[in-house]
Amino acid sequence: MRLAPVFALAAMIPAAALAGPAEVVEAHILPGTAAFSQATDALAKSAGADCRAVALRAPWNAAFDAWLGIGHLAFGPIEADGRALGIAFWPDTRGLVQKTVAALIANQDPAANDPEEFAQVSVAGRGLFAMERLLYDPALADYAEDDYRCGLVRAIATDLARTGAGIDTEWREDHAQRLQTAGAPGNDTYLSADEATQTLYTALLTGLEFTADQRLGRPMGSAERPRPNRAEARRSGRSLRNVTLSLTALQELAQTLSDAPTPRTDAAFAEALAAAERPDPVFADVTTVQGRLRVEALQQRVRAISDAVQQEIGPALGVRAGFNSADGD
Amino acid sequence: MKRLFLPVLASTALTSLPALAATKAEVLDTYANIAEAAYGDSLATARALQGAVDALIADPSAETLDAARAAWVAARVPYQQTEAFRFGNAIVDDWEGKVNAWPLDEGLIDYVDPSYGGATDENAYAGLNVIANPAFTLSGESIDATEITPELLESTLHEADEIEANVATGYHAIEFLLWGQDLNGTDPGAGNRPWTDYASGDACTNGNCDRRAAYLEAATDLLVSDLEWMTAQWGEAGAGRTTLLSDHDAGIKAILTGMGSLSYGELAGERMKLGLMLNDPEEEHDCFSDNTHMSHYYDGLGIRNVYLGEYERVGGGVVSGPSLSDLVSDIDSTVDTELRESLDNTMTELGLLRTAAETGLSYDMMLARGNARGEAIVMAAVNALVAQTRSIERAVTTLDLDEIGFEGSDSLDNPDAVFQ
Repeated sequence: MRLAPVFALAAMIPAAALAGPAEVVEAHILPGTAAFSQATDALAKSAGADCRAVALRAPWNAAFDAWLGIGHLAFGPIEADGRALGIAFWPDTRGLVQKTVAALIANQDPAANDPEEFAQVSVAGRGLFAMERLLYDPALADYAEDDYRCGLVRAIATDLARTGAGIDTEWREDHAQRLQTAGAPGNDTYLSADEATQTLYTALLTGLEFTADQRLGRPMGSAERPRPNRAEARRSGRSLRNVTLSLTALQELAQTLSDAPTPRTDAAFAEALAAAERPDPVFADVTTVQGRLRVEALQQRVRAISDAVQQEIGPALGVRAGFNSADGD
Repeated sequence: MKRLFLPVLASTALTSLPALAATKAEVLDTYANIAEAAYGDSLATARALQGAVDALIADPSAETLDAARAAWVAARVPYQQTEAFRFGNAIVDDWEGKVNAWPLDEGLIDYVDPSYGGATDENAYAGLNVIANPAFTLSGESIDATEITPELLESTLHEADEIEANVATGYHAIEFLLWGQDLNGTDPGAGNRPWTDYASGDACTNGNCDRRAAYLEAATDLLVSDLEWMTAQWGEAGAGRTTLLSDHDAGIKAILTGMGSLSYGELAGERMKLGLMLNDPEEEHDCFSDNTHMSHYYDGLGIRNVYLGEYERVGGGVVSGPSLSDLVSDIDSTVDTELRESLDNTMTELGLLRTAAETGLSYDMMLARGNARGEAIVMAAVNALVAQTRSIERAVTTLDLDEIGFEGSDSLDNPDAVFQ
């Protein structure tokens, strides 16, 4: 058993007292939900002022960045009402975003004029990925103020801001307390302190699995049949950026959750983030041997983080992962 | 291949409780007996379907088509109850795609409505239509499909081009051949394939009736042979049973893994919530026949069966014995009571969903945008399944199935491999 390299270590965990669910809430979750709420609010305001694609790409990217800070918290307020799907419907194995956005435009669907009605629209026509189509698909992105697409973009931005505010409010006013008072009388969500810890631990491992299997695994396909067109958010050039930002957020979760030094986990994150500097930004070259190797190396590093977390953090916390939403097909 | 988290379970903690050891073996015996009976019933009802398909092909009529459809619906009752065995037992999970793969790009198999489109970015063979094309090219290879055989379906067409939506075999391929596409969207009505799609000579509609019949027969024969194989795996010397019984702790783990993974990720998530959020009738599990409410109901019942150690056979009679519920109750009756109540609550909600579907609000109608009543019915069942999953996790904790092993991880055998 090898000692972890010095560079990734102890300084990141200031003190044992500042770890566990309470610390995760204060240092990771609430800053994340606030940032996403603010970013989506800014996106909606920008869309209100100027709905054209050129004006909205920057605030849309900022909102997507903020989503990657909390997208792995797939329980409680983000799971409720299918919010995660309404924000980021991906993977889209049946090409439904394209079909749904096209149908909304072709029908000039009046739902775009009414936020309450629009909240009922298919998740394939809402959220960051529907908006990506409108902002980056050359066949769609060249629209003017008087086009239906202008109103559609505004409706999506408004819907994202509504969802972002709802998540932040519910976390602040309700779920933060539930996590922090796990096991206390009257807490019917977390019947023991361990259940709160287990929920966060499961979110950590599920997030790592999603990045390895989906964000990296989908474009990799098989060696015989690589699938670069399946890369997440490739139209906006964000595929690799999403991996990096997601890993950064998961690293923060791991560090705030653990109340002991985690040298192996820290080293594994550092190695994965270093490996994430090499692939093509949208994994376009997974069709080549070298390109595929770079993505495969990154995928192995991400899986190695899961192994380190399971060896180091789970036993130290005395919990094991619960069921996760990726179990099954 | 998904790595399940639940396999991170104990070996030493459980074996340190000798008082329960015998009980554990009995619990696993009950579980394997239920598997054998439920796959046996699935096989018997699939054979009945095979008989009905033979009758349809020999003497096509509205009556023989209806009889085949009824036989298919009946065959789903025991099969869906076996889904609780899938995620905990590799032998089932590795095989399951042959018999119950879903959703499918049905244009691979037969004619479809123009609104279906054809090949897509995801699937170049979404519109292949094997029934109309005795020769075609697949991934660069020339295929001779003059004879439609089980072998052709299984080895060449199923998951062609590594696309999961290319489903050429199993219940849903047969369902499509019996019902056809449901073109009613989220309005009332199921698929409405005319019986004349199997008629001979000039009476044949939509062309290639003989090839369609050959496809239906091959797919049904394959279903029967696949279920024969799986039923045998749960017999006295079958690999499903012997693997399960070879490690009691891993066996208990398998039961709980199957219950939790089907409850949460698969049924509540993939099959119910996702379709609802997409408002997409093609996201319903039995989309051609509108039998989805029954499939969900019997999935739920199957989960409860394996916890209570009790299965009601198709022909009457009950298979039962010492149960996981007994095992949990011996340690903490509160946790057992909570889990049994959760399972009952799920069955109440799935029962309400079933009743609603049977009385005019079919499952695809529930998925329509703005159908508040449908959404409430589906979400109540989803929420019950999610709550049930939390109760299952508490049972895992109660059984002290904690830590110790890291199955599926490179790092167990070679810790340094992780950090290379």
